[in-house]
Amino acid sequence: MIRRYFIAILLTTMLVSVPLSPVYAASDSSSHQPTTPIQHLVVVMQENHTFDNYFGTYPGANGIPAGTEMPVDPNNPAAGYVTPWHIGNTTITDLSHSTSTFNDQYNNGKMDGFISALNSRNQDGKLAMGYYDGRDIPYYWNLADNYVLFDQLFSSAKDGSFSNHMYWVAAVSPSAPKGVKLSDVLANTPTIFDSLQAAGVSWKFYVQNYDPTITYRDVYNKGNRESQVIWVPLLNFDRFIDNPNLSSHIVDLSQYYVDLRNGTLPSVSYIVPSGASEHPPSSLMSGQRFIKSILQELERSTAWNSSAFLLLYDDWGGWYDHVTPPQVDLFGYGMRVPGILVSPYAKTGYIDHTVLDFTSVLKFIEQNWNIAPLAQRDANSNNFLTAFDFNNTARLPIFLPLTRIAQAPVKKDPTPVIYLSYGGALFLSLSIIGIANYRSKRKKTDTSREVSES
Amino acid sequence: MRISNSLNVSETVYEPEVTRVKTKLIVNEAAVSHLLLAIAMIAGLFFRIWQIDAMGFNTDEAVYAGQAAAIARVPGLMDIFPVFRAHPLLFQFLLSIVYRIHFSDIAGRILAVVIGLGTILVTYKLGKLLYSRLPGAVAALFIALMPYHVIVSRQVLLDGPMTFFATLTLYMLARFAKTQRPVWLYAVGVSMGLTVLTKETSIILVGGIFVFLALAPEVHTRLRDLIISVAIMGLVIAPFPMSIILAGNSSTGRNYLVWQLFRRPNHPWDFYFTVVPPALGILVLIIAIAGLYFLRREHSWREKLLLAWIIVPVVFFEVWPVKGYQYLLPIAPAIAVLAGRALGKWILQARGTRFFSPIKTFFNQPAVFWMITGLVVFSLGFSSWQQIQPEISTQFLAGTGGVPGGREAGLWINEYVPVKAKFMTIGPSMANIIEFYGERPAYGLAVSPNPLHRNPSYDPILNPDAQIRNSDLQYLVWDSFSASRSPFFSDKLMGYVYKYNGHAIHTETITVKDQSGQYVVKPVIIIYEVYP
Repeated sequence: MIRRYFIAILLTTMLVSVPLSPVYAASDSSSHQPTTPIQHLVVVMQENHTFDNYFGTYPGANGIPAGTEMPVDPNNPAAGYVTPWHIGNTTITDLSHSTSTFNDQYNNGKMDGFISALNSRNQDGKLAMGYYDGRDIPYYWNLADNYVLFDQLFSSAKDGSFSNHMYWVAAVSPSAPKGVKLSDVLANTPTIFDSLQAAGVSWKFYVQNYDPTITYRDVYNKGNRESQVIWVPLLNFDRFIDNPNLSSHIVDLSQYYVDLRNGTLPSVSYIVPSGASEHPPSSLMSGQRFIKSILQELERSTAWNSSAFLLLYDDWGGWYDHVTPPQVDLFGYGMRVPGILVSPYAKTGYIDHTVLDFTSVLKFIEQNWNIAPLAQRDANSNNFLTAFDFNNTARLPIFLPLTRIAQAPVKKDPTPVIYLSYGGALFLSLSIIGIANYRSKRKKTDTSREVSES
Repeated sequence: MRISNSLNVSETVYEPEVTRVKTKLIVNEAAVSHLLLAIAMIAGLFFRIWQIDAMGFNTDEAVYAGQAAAIARVPGLMDIFPVFRAHPLLFQFLLSIVYRIHFSDIAGRILAVVIGLGTILVTYKLGKLLYSRLPGAVAALFIALMPYHVIVSRQVLLDGPMTFFATLTLYMLARFAKTQRPVWLYAVGVSMGLTVLTKETSIILVGGIFVFLALAPEVHTRLRDLIISVAIMGLVIAPFPMSIILAGNSSTGRNYLVWQLFRRPNHPWDFYFTVVPPALGILVLIIAIAGLYFLRREHSWREKLLLAWIIVPVVFFEVWPVKGYQYLLPIAPAIAVLAGRALGKWILQARGTRFFSPIKTFFNQPAVFWMITGLVVFSLGFSSWQQIQPEISTQFLAGTGGVPGGREAGLWINEYVPVKAKFMTIGPSMANIIEFYGERPAYGLAVSPNPLHRNPSYDPILNPDAQIRNSDLQYLVWDSFSASRSPFFSDKLMGYVYKYNGHAIHTETITVKDQSGQYVVKPVIIIYEVYP
């Protein structure tokens, strides 16, 4: 049974991994001019939050339904229920977010195992029902107010970071048959960057605190830095490590700022964090500052007028989300994750309900630069073009604050008070002066009449 | 001052003794006066609108126009400029009505000009009431061309309108003194209230009124009328505190008062003595003083009125540590009337003797009057003409005009810099200009974090390093005007520019003469983008 299951996985993997077109042959770059005004796509992948965890109470979005109660034990209603609660400053932890945890929480589509799945792993399951709001992530809520929020964006894999990052670059799950090294499988797995390279479309993969010595070959004993190999999936590909034509595109994030300043931002930019990833239990404010600095530099660069900035989260991180993810194949989708689009052509304060996943990013790249799909997933995924309004001219960028604009105390409009009080004073004044003048004139008239009568 | 409690209201016009020299007029006073008044109004208009839009707002103009825009709910500005800052809002209230019809910086200046022309007219009426048509017309001509009034009434400042209402108060007071009708004392309360409602510092002039009433026993004032007048004044002023309280900003005015009381002097003690006389016109001053001396036998309550109006604010502001170029403007019409009185009396008393006559009779010539009047008019006009030229300098005295390059820099920011981007300037002056034209929040580095040492209208930057590092401050602005006043903060700002890889993205330059007389291009405003 297990063997049959494994073979099924392997066959499916191979099936969805089949490249739909050659990707290594160089092609005429003139045929890869952008088909939309977007000449620069910048995508940042943060870590481990669901849509409901970040935007579950955001007005107008498909957030946490009223009356939501999560059973502590789906099989024992007497164990009680937990309602969603505001996390605020409550101490949290890194919740389990493995495939098995997903399956337990998903519970065959019943979506009722969020607490029990964590409890069974010796974690406080109630944490899963916690959520943040504009008080905790004011910058993101401000972005949503002014640009586009996606509320049907699913993580591509019902798994943790690595699988989802692989979908982000190659539209496949990183599976290798037993006895086969993953790097060998990946040697024949095309990525979007192979396609861009072949098409002559510029690209870079910017990594915060990038250490080129940390690859899949030497990942052990690197402490927290091991995550670089997960969050930069290209470092699992031999060709992206050894071939200077490719490896030179993986650079430290500081180069991003240099490129913006020099006007050399590539057409496609992928960015991953190091310490400011928002991976629980790390600081959300630190993550927001990180995103703010990246976005603001783009906003004040020459690239802004032809850019699109996409903020994504790689997996659900064990948090609750109420929408049952569609199962498009054996590997996904996973739970919903937050997604925000910022662009001079983005609709204003728009909530996009299009069903998307990380391969939608690939879909956009492929359609915008006329590149063939990599695999079945990206070929079938939806684009997020509905979030744009290309009929309007490019909007001026907005430097949004790290405090919630909508929560700022509403200033009392002083206009009526001023018009009434100052207008009243002026009216009173003119009246008194008018009376004085009138009485003076009348007195003069009376006097002159008396004189003439006498 | 004699306070009478008896009902001693004379229904006939009370006319204190005035020496009327019966002379044969060699001119038709009415015709000449009307001609001079017409010239005053036309010249006044010309001098006030010539190149009025050549330069953008200075910092004070930006603040008042910004407040008016906030009252008029002008998008982009209403969220940047708080309505309640330091001063009352009568002028801003009037300007907001203009802005509701048409919003532009020149609209504000045109309103200031119209009010300035009103002051010329009231000065004429005052001179005519106190003396006669010709002194009034000469005074109007002087005020029309006087650099002090010309410069200030071309700007969106409170001092021009304040001077208008102050002169109106003086006129009302003169009418009261002349007629003894209480209703004119009530009108004094009204117009004094409007003066204070324009700028609260004018409350000093109330002291001038009381000094006059105390020193002029011939002007009978009943205590009851005085109380009513003060009550009316209080009623007219009431919107100032009332609107602040109703709008929930009750601490604003209090904080500003505390700051004004304890702030350090901003100019040396001799500031007014060096700046104001040339602005008034040295010849005008000499003639006014000469008139007081040579016509001393004719002195009456009229001169007491004018002198009290002049001396009280001069003494007060000289003693007061905080000084400003335009603070003494309300005395200008009174000085013009004194000068007009001297010259007007002269022509009215002149006898038709030969031009080349002994010295004793030389000054009794009408032609000499016209020559001197012409000389004064020319000197005032020449001085004003020079000052209204859009001649530019890398230094700037507050209240004397617009800031070269300020509007252009602000408009550039408005067009090219991201919305809600934040700016740090050397001081709050440039910050105000950037906020008005750029519609972006700006903060002065020189604004002290200590609330006792800063204007409460301004927000300090508590930790510029942290704010730049956190991308909360994205642009730094250096300007030569602030740098010349605050070299320390100029260096400090440039330190941040160097520290955070500042990159100049926009520069405003002007062409000025250097020490050798050569024209050179100098940067006056540089906008830096900083990278944390």
